[in-house]
Amino acid sequence: MKQPIEPIRIIEGREKEKIMEILLEQFGVEKIPGKIIKRGKEKIFLFTGSLTEREIQNLSQATFVERVGVYFAKENEGELRLSIEGTQILKNEIKKNIVELNEEEKETWMMGHEILKKTGLKGFVVIKYKEDMLGTGKASEEKITNFIPKSRRLKDKSIEN
Amino acid sequence: MTKRSRKIPDPKPAFVERINQLLTEEKDNKAYWEILKTKPVHSIRCNTLKISPEKLIKKLNSKGWKISQPWKTNPEIMIIESALLPGELGRALEHLLGYYYIQELSSMLPMIAMKPKENESYLDLCAAPGSKTTQAAALMKNTGTIIANEISIGRMRILASNLERCGVTNTIITRKEGRALSKNLEKNNMTFDKILVDAPCSGEGTLRSTPKTYIMWNPKTIKHLSKLQKQLFLSSFDKLKINGEMIYSTCTHAPEENEEVVSYCLEKLGNKIEIIDFKLPIKTREGITKWQDKEYDKRVKLTKRIYPHDNNTEGFFVSKFRKVKE
Repeated sequence: MKQPIEPIRIIEGREKEKIMEILLEQFGVEKIPGKIIKRGKEKIFLFTGSLTEREIQNLSQATFVERVGVYFAKENEGELRLSIEGTQILKNEIKKNIVELNEEEKETWMMGHEILKKTGLKGFVVIKYKEDMLGTGKASEEKITNFIPKSRRLKDKSIEN
Repeated sequence: MTKRSRKIPDPKPAFVERINQLLTEEKDNKAYWEILKTKPVHSIRCNTLKISPEKLIKKLNSKGWKISQPWKTNPEIMIIESALLPGELGRALEHLLGYYYIQELSSMLPMIAMKPKENESYLDLCAAPGSKTTQAAALMKNTGTIIANEISIGRMRILASNLERCGVTNTIITRKEGRALSKNLEKNNMTFDKILVDAPCSGEGTLRSTPKTYIMWNPKTIKHLSKLQKQLFLSSFDKLKINGEMIYSTCTHAPEENEEVVSYCLEKLGNKIEIIDFKLPIKTREGITKWQDKEYDKRVKLTKRIYPHDNNTEGFFVSKFRKVKE
């Protein structure tokens, strides 16, 4: 049976406060430049367009709305994992849990591999190389797990041919 | 700009005949067929939503790429002058991070003509793969609202992926057949400051990058597309605000898909529509007023034809209109 399409919601009130609290706690982020949009339980989108929730709902009556704004973060057991765009958009707001990579580690990271590194951090960390924001990883004692989607990875030269 | 040659399929005789009718001057005609044997230049557009042209050039130079900026008025538009490996542009870290969009020079022209501004509302009726939507979002600095519509699910996924990579936050992606979307928006009283109809077309202008168009080209398709394009034009024009502007563009040279569509719609819309003259940073030719047994409205001279051999680009057609009355 076809699953019913979940409505698009602009997150306001307590639900928004909760997301902001998590962003503050995890990354020191105090403000975000747009509306938080959700469809379903996990994926969070950021929308800077001028349409109101009512107008978006009206548009949904006129046509199938596939997406509103950009994929920004994923909710994961009470924590937030920022997408590459999420880290780039919040570049100047992110103040903690940042792991800076060297050039070799950056290549490894962008190929989609985990980074063997003791950071002293635990949980989601923002990955950075010089001025470039490279998404979020999950730090444990000795490594950082990679979440770079396949379509955004550098070609792994070691498995060429 | 360098020219990169390769082997191409033989064009169909009917296509040769039509181009010979369009480009009657011998030297001009020869230059057209000659340039089709070469690949287009490697052009990119700096995604100013994420990085400035100066910073991007610095990054690309550090990879050993030689960069030029062909148009002074548009520093975000760049050409990679260095030789590249196949697929190298798409695999580069700067591309994966959304710092640039790979886009053919002529495909950047509709947005240069349209000039979308901050806080405007903009409808892109046939938006995939997203080159012009991402260009508009950058010009609008992610403000206002863009409705990016696409009928095909497969192409819509490519559109979504490109908008994501470019960090476009002011856009809503919709999936509907273009004419039906305009009709449904009517019920919502939704109107726009700017509309782009970059219509599905026979693609004659893309022969340099997509030689399979030589094989797929078919005169019957042109006739069918012309009908669809007229309907897309008329139905979407209705969704403009008063003084709102619309760009109608194609990547083909076929007059049936270009001047004929414009001439037909000018006549149909009467005093509601005004055709606008505009400037582009490359050599263009005015629209033709006669093709085979048909004469078009003289105002189609204000439309722009872009031939590949005039600027070492692909071929394109761009026209601009304003809604003056309901």
